Formats: sequence, structure tokens, C-alpha cells
Amino acid sequence: MNRPWLIPVLSFVLAAIVSDSICRAETVIEFAQQRVVKIYGTGGIRNLHAYSTGFLVSPKGHVATIWNHVLDQDVVTVVLDDGRRFQASLVNAEPQLDLAVLKIDSEETGFPYFDPADAGHADPGARVLAFSNVFRVATGNESVSVMHGVIAAHTQLAARRGAFQLPYEGSVYVIDSVTNSSGAGGGVITSHDGILLGMLGRELRNARSNTWVNFAIPVTELRPVIEQIIAGRFTARRRQARDTHETPACTPLDFGLILVPDVVTRTPAYVVGVVSGSAAALNGVQRDDLILFANDELIQSQRQLRSVLGAFEAPGTLKVVMRRGDQLVSIELSVERKPDAD
Amino acid sequence: MPIDAHERGTPAIRPHAAVAARAGRHDTGHASRYVSVFTALLLGAAAPAAGADAQSLARLEEAAFRQAAAIAAPSVVRIDTVGGLDRVSGTATGTAPTTGILVSADGYVLSSLANFAARPTSILVELPDGRRFPAKQIASDHLRMLALLKIGAGGLTPIQTTDRADVRVGEWCIALGRTYATPTPSVSVGIVSALQRIWGKAIQTDANLSPVNYGGALVDIEGRAIGIVVPLSPNASGNMAGVEWYDSGIGFAIPIQDAFESFERLKDGDDLHRGLLGITLRRTDLYSSRPVIDRVRYGSPAENAGLRREDTIVAVDGSDIKHTAELRHALGNKYAGVDLTVVVEREGDRIERKLTLVAELPPYQSGYLGILPKRRALSADEARTGVVIRHVLPDSPASRAKLEPGDRILQLDEKQPENHTALLDIVGRRRPGTEITLFVDSAGRRRTVTVTLDSLPTRVPSGVPPVTIPPPGEAAGTVVDDKTRTGRFTELMEAHQHRFWAWIPDDYNPDHEYGLMVWLHPAGDTMEAAILQDWESIAERRGLIILGPHAHRPTGWTLNEAEFVKAATELLIERYSIDAKRVFLHCLRDSSHLGLQLLWNNRQLYRGIATATPVRFPVTAPPENRPEDRLQFYFTCDQQHSSFRFTRGLVNALRGMKFPVVLTAGDGDAQAWPNSEVIEEIGRWADSLDRI
Repeated sequence: MNRPWLIPVLSFVLAAIVSDSICRAETVIEFAQQRVVKIYGTGGIRNLHAYSTGFLVSPKGHVATIWNHVLDQDVVTVVLDDGRRFQASLVNAEPQLDLAVLKIDSEETGFPYFDPADAGHADPGARVLAFSNVFRVATGNESVSVMHGVIAAHTQLAARRGAFQLPYEGSVYVIDSVTNSSGAGGGVITSHDGILLGMLGRELRNARSNTWVNFAIPVTELRPVIEQIIAGRFTARRRQARDTHETPACTPLDFGLILVPDVVTRTPAYVVGVVSGSAAALNGVQRDDLILFANDELIQSQRQLRSVLGAFEAPGTLKVVMRRGDQLVSIELSVERKPDAD
Repeated sequence: MPIDAHERGTPAIRPHAAVAARAGRHDTGHASRYVSVFTALLLGAAAPAAGADAQSLARLEEAAFRQAAAIAAPSVVRIDTVGGLDRVSGTATGTAPTTGILVSADGYVLSSLANFAARPTSILVELPDGRRFPAKQIASDHLRMLALLKIGAGGLTPIQTTDRADVRVGEWCIALGRTYATPTPSVSVGIVSALQRIWGKAIQTDANLSPVNYGGALVDIEGRAIGIVVPLSPNASGNMAGVEWYDSGIGFAIPIQDAFESFERLKDGDDLHRGLLGITLRRTDLYSSRPVIDRVRYGSPAENAGLRREDTIVAVDGSDIKHTAELRHALGNKYAGVDLTVVVEREGDRIERKLTLVAELPPYQSGYLGILPKRRALSADEARTGVVIRHVLPDSPASRAKLEPGDRILQLDEKQPENHTALLDIVGRRRPGTEITLFVDSAGRRRTVTVTLDSLPTRVPSGVPPVTIPPPGEAAGTVVDDKTRTGRFTELMEAHQHRFWAWIPDDYNPDHEYGLMVWLHPAGDTMEAAILQDWESIAERRGLIILGPHAHRPTGWTLNEAEFVKAATELLIERYSIDAKRVFLHCLRDSSHLGLQLLWNNRQLYRGIATATPVRFPVTAPPENRPEDRLQFYFTCDQQHSSFRFTRGLVNALRGMKFPVVLTAGDGDAQAWPNSEVIEEIGRWADSLDRI
């Protein structure tokens, strides 16, 4: 079956669609690049890079960026898309969000900027553009680099103990391309329509899968703090002082659990016996049961179980899921009193 | 009008956007695509009218990615593991969750074998609805690198697979993983970069594949699986091969039809393995010429089928093989147990052989008769054939057959060995347990003996008699020139800017062959005096020359210095009369690293190694055992020493490869090890390197 007439028609329509989207993409890219700046500060020693990225968030020259060693000196240099070079100083920072806001030392009030109030949201599968001075490729009046990718997931990285060293505990956009290399932190991701979505995060390794994670913190999460800092109303939350009278950590034995000797890095939490009359005995824990979850946290080794028990406060109830043969068994172990302090 | 394959089935969600998006990428005018192309035409034509923003192709594509993920999501599961190893093949193993796909309603899950490389104690599968089940690993496919798990659940939603045979380069594909704690799978979007990669096994994509989605589904724009994501490497095999390629824009997936074929076979619980033929090829460019066999492994399907060195492979299973790459394609995706027809060209003839590929090539083991041959003077009468026995080793086939020193072996089965090298070659190519018939001359009385060969013993016999090499006589006409200095001397090798010392017996007689001990000193101390003190008398009794190369730095040997050690060894072999069968390395502590590496790589030069208290080991695996270049090992280490465990591990590995390995364990002062008794034993071992 041959329909040669279809091909020219089709080519025309496709070309129209493609050229339209390219035009829009160019506008979007130009729009975003004018609002992303190159930042130069301290670093350069111990393999720490001395550059990063930021984005303008007010017409007066406030720049949001990542809170890192580049800002360790009082004044940093900010270079705009058009090549203009300014000194900038730190206004305030929120380490919990990995966020810092700088102010360009200038009386000018006409800087191009992203309004954090216009920031949007994206779902997995959404295509995004990433803008950053990754590897310091752009200098002077050169625009920052643009990369493309897709939102792989909208998730919380800190949900799993031990995987990430990141102070930020909220949700992030994980991106499926390599956006978070040296100097990219503080850059932005936008939708293909130019809607601001997130600030590129630090270089971050997942300690549990031995891979690098490319992510951005949603601007919707940063917005309140950015606005408070600009308005001069922000005070960083003080970290809660540690209780000086630390309660001693619980151990498996406090629940009546006797585990196999912990001899390798990942010794599984196998039960070899229970203390008679203990919570474990009363709840029917058996020899050869394997503890898989404690308070909903996956227990891959005895080390992890100890870490979960370390955060457990007695008196209280520990939810445990065990593997017994091919069955999963859920129980609750209650401990009445605090373990004795040494 | 032909209907495109994807129009036939009716998935739960009909992805109009998907159809349009796919059409956008395939504008090649293929007749079967007219339906989808036409849909695109309508959507596309409507777009400018309705406002470009809302209806742009990019938006349709984005919507399609999400729909595709949603369609496949119920079949993409999270896998958690408990326990297991920290490192596999030098790579740290992860403990992060991984991904699998449901392939049946009754609980079978396919995943990537790499996810279980750490051999976890327990595996847990979490369904998209949050239910958790303990899982059992039913079987593994080591060719396609898949693992099959089973959970005790029913009524599940198996993955929908594409029924299109024409997955095409350039089409969209989406990799789905379950690593993150989100209700929807993680999404990575790319295009199909190539088909039939890794010797015909895999789809290649530029979607970002990593531990985040290994074991997950690679779906097309309609959400139907076209593959299962696995790490693969074209050059390496092993559970973790290819993991290092993550973030590179190159990722692989096993085509879903192949994965299901594997699933059907794995259900029975039997592991599947890559099929091995048992040949190595002459090193040439992959595409320049037809493959020529360099070596045929002993006991391999190739050997059993009668393939030989120098054979040119011209066809496999009826397909012409024009170059090496085609052979790798023909063999690369075959399982063990598969029958194969191979056609080779040998001296102008075409020879066809049928064979069955195997999972594992058995290591070769040489036969052992139990004699030390008499070492003949080089000027001796060559007309006298056969091999005279110098010593009969205890508990050997030879001792049981009552062979005696002085007996001359004239014939072995049909062969008449001219000298002891020839006899060693004949016996070495027969396996332990083989019955052989010897024709022997015992002081003029000729007799026939039948013996069954043993394997080489792993102990050094106590009573190896010393050898007597007569001093050089006028009659022998030997001249000791400048180059054949005797005694102890030091020399600089100009080309390498390295020094060595050597010791030659004072009564060195070039008419007789000597053994050569290459002493590799430990870091910081050449130990010249100590070695001479320990070894001078042994070397005189055992007919040994000693070579002691100096490391460049006091911190010890680097692997770059291997070339110098080799050159020094070759220099002495050139100058002196040295028996190639008795050239060995002797190491102490850290020099074992260089020594073992030299042995692995230069087995025609060095035939053995005696190493005391080894503390460093090569990272590369030992070469296979083979009769033409026999290797022998002597290890000694004090049991109290921290490296004893590693030494024993290496000894066991080498023994597993059927090498003759002696391990003498000390039980006392690790610092003073080895003691004089052990050194004496190393001397006997060195003197029996030419045992047959």
C-alpha cells in the first residue's frame, strides 16, 4: 500500500512543530541564562573547587546559591551572563537547606531575576533543562552551560539511614542525567517552558549503591527562607543542643534477643536464642528468626539494628518484622524500663 | 491497511500521546506505520490552531513518558537484601534497594544478577502496593546476567511485553527502577542506541542506567517492556562487569523475549551458564581476518572434537565466519549444553566437527611417573636414545613398578623418547590415572612394565640424592672465557641501569646443565651475604647458579622492573649452560608480588617459584595449568604470621587449578622463618623440578 502524498504533508507538519519548539526552547534558555550567575570564591586547595553557580532572585541583585566552602570568605565575585563582574557578600544562610543568599554590592535595581513565587512543580517523566557553571566552562560574558534530562523521581533522599550525607531532609527532584558535577551546585533546573523548578544540589554520593546522585532541591521548599532572608527577617534555626544526660542506648538483649556473633560487616540479625521471660520470649521469637525490620527500618546488618535501637527510647514498643522460613512475622516488643546506665 | 503491532493489543490505558510521540520519531515512511503517523498528522495539524504551547510535541512526549511508566509500574518491584559480602571482585557491593520485574501472576520476579553479587542471606520483595514477601533465588543465568526470584504471592500483574519484533534504533525507551521511596517508579528516558550489542546479547540505550534501575524494565513509549536492565561489559564477564559504565550514556538491557526464554528455563532451578568451546585465538584485529586457533584447552569440547592449533575457523552452525568478531557473535550468546557445528580449514582441507559447549573447562592435570632423569653431559653420545633414571621417587608409580636408578626407559607406549625433555612432554600430556606401558632396559635385561600415572605430589621427598658435576676437564675441551666468570661478582646492565649480583660454582663445567635460582630480595635489603651463606653449599650439591638482581629503590620492587629481571635472567641463560626446566624464582616477603607476576607472565622462562612468608600477591589471576609449560610452586610461611591465611588461600586456589604446590608451614618464630631445614628442602625441590 503506497501513499506517497503523505510524506510531504507529514514533513511539513513535523517541521512546523519542531521549529516551534526550538524557538520556544531558545527563548526559555536565554531567559534562564540571564538569571544564572557564575560565583568565584575560596577553594582550590585540597581538591576543593573555588567556583559555583547561583541564580538571581531579586531585581536588587540577591543571589540564591548553595551553602558551601566557596562562600568561606567574606566577599565573593559574581559574574553575570552579560559579563558584568560584581563583588557580593553573604546576607544569610540556612545550612539545613544547603541554601545561602548573597547580595551584589550595587545600588542597581534592574537585575533580571527569577521570582521564587513563580516556581512550579514537576512530576517524574517531566523534561527539564539544567543551567549551571559546571566545571567552570563558562567565563566572562559566556552563558552558563545548559543540559537536558528528565525528572527520574520526586523523593526524599534522607528517608534511608546511612545512604546520604546531606543536612536537607525534604523532598528533592532526582534527575536522570549527570547535572551535579563540580561547580554545578546553586544552578537551576527549569521546565521546558522556563518555569523555575529547583536549585541543583551538592555533589552527593549514595553510600549504599556507590553511585552519584543528581538532584535539585525544589524552589518551592526554598522560597520561604529566600523571601525571609531578602526581607531581613530570617534567623537560622539553632540546632538543638544535645541532651547532656544521654540515656544509654538499648541493645538487643534488653528485648531478650540473643543474636549470632557479629563477626563480619554485614552480619544478619539472626536470633540464636531468647532470654526466658523477656519480651522476645513472650512474643514467641524463635531460634533462627531473622530480624528484617525494626520500627519500619530495613535491618540489613546487626550494625543497623544497633543504630535503630540507639534511637529507641524506653519505655516503649519496638515494631519488629522477622523472617521465619518463608513467612514474615510481625511482632511488637515492649520494654518497661530504661536500661541501666553505667 | 496494515495495522501496526501496537494497535492490536489494548493496554489498560490507551496512550494516544505515546502513539503520536512514537510517530514523531519514525518518519521513515514505513508502510506499517501509517496508522500512527496519521494520528500524529491529525494531532500535529491541530496543534498550531489550538496554540502551540499546550499541544507541542514535547508535551505529548512528556505525557507519554509518564503514561508508559504508569502502565508498567504495577509490575516493577523493589528488592531489598540482608547480609552478604562487602566486596565482590574488588568492587564494593551496594546495600541500596534494587529493582525486579514481575514476570508471572504467581510470583516469579526477574532481576539483574548484579543485584545479588554480594550473595545476600535474605531477599525481600516489596510489591508496588506495599506488601512485602520473603523471596527465594530460584536460579541464575550467567550468560544474560539475570536472576530469577520467587515470592509466595498470587494474582499479581506480570509485565506487559512488546510483541513487536522490530525494536528500532532511535525509538524512545524508558528505564524504570524502584530504588527510591516513592509510589511511582523512577524514570530515566533515552533512546535505543543499538541492537545486538555485547556479541548479540543486548539492547544498548542512552537512558541513564545504574544501580538505581538494574533489574528494572526498559519499556517502550507504550509502557511495554522491551528489555530488562543489566550491567554488561563487552570485554569482561562476572557478576559486576559493566557496573563501572553507569553515567556514561551507555547502558544495556537484555531483550525481553530472551529474558522470558531464560525465565522458562530458570524455573526448573538450574543455573544457566555461558557455553565455552575451549580455544584461544591468535591475537589479531577483530575484523581483519578469519580466526586462527592459537591454543586448544586440554579436556575442552574443542579438544575432544579434534580441533587443533593453527586451524582456521571458517563456519559455525552453517554461518560463514569471515573474521574474529563474527565468531564472537556466533558464540557470544550461546549457553552451555548447546550443540554446535564448527568447520575449520586445516592444510587446505575443510573439516566439520560437532561439539557441545560446556559451562566450565576442567583444569588440566599432568601425569606423574615418579622418576628423576639422569642429566646427560652435553657432549655425551647422542646416538644412545632413551632416558636413564637418576632416582626413583618414593610412593610413585615408578617405585611401585620397581624401576631402579640406572634403568633406561626406551619406549613409552608407541613413542621412543630421545631424551628426558621428550619423555617429560609425553608423560605431561597424559592425565593421572592413564595406564602406560614402558619398555625398559635394566642392566641389559629388557622388560615391559605397565604403570598407572599419578598426579604430581605436593610434598618434597626427603631423599633426593645430590648431583655430581665433574670439574671441567681438558678432555672436554671447555674454555672458561671472560664472559663466564665464576664465583661471586656484580655487574651493571647498561640498558636497564640496574645492577645484579651472581654466584657461579668455582668448578663450573659448561658441559653440564645447571639450575638457575633468581633471588628477588625483599624491600630494603639485598641479603646478598645471607643468601650466599644459606645457599652456597646447597647450590654446589644441587648444581645451581644464583642470580640476584637489585631493585632500583630501597622501598622494594615495582612491577616495571620485571623487564630488567627478565633481561638479567636471559643474560645468564645465554652465558652459561642452564637447563630451561630448572629456572626458578626465589622470593621473600614482599618480593612475592613481583615474583608471582613474573611467573604468571613468563612461564616459558620461569618454571617455578619458591616463596617464603609472602606478604604481597598479584591482583591478576594465575594462568591455567597446561602440560607444555609446566609450573611448580613452593610456599612456606609461619602459621603465626599474619599472611599465613592469604598464603593458604592462594595455595588452595592453585591446587584447585591442579598445579603441584608444596606448602610448608612453620610453627614458631615467624621472624626467623624460613629456617635452614626449610632452605634445604627448597634445594631438594629445586633439584627435582625436572621430575617426570
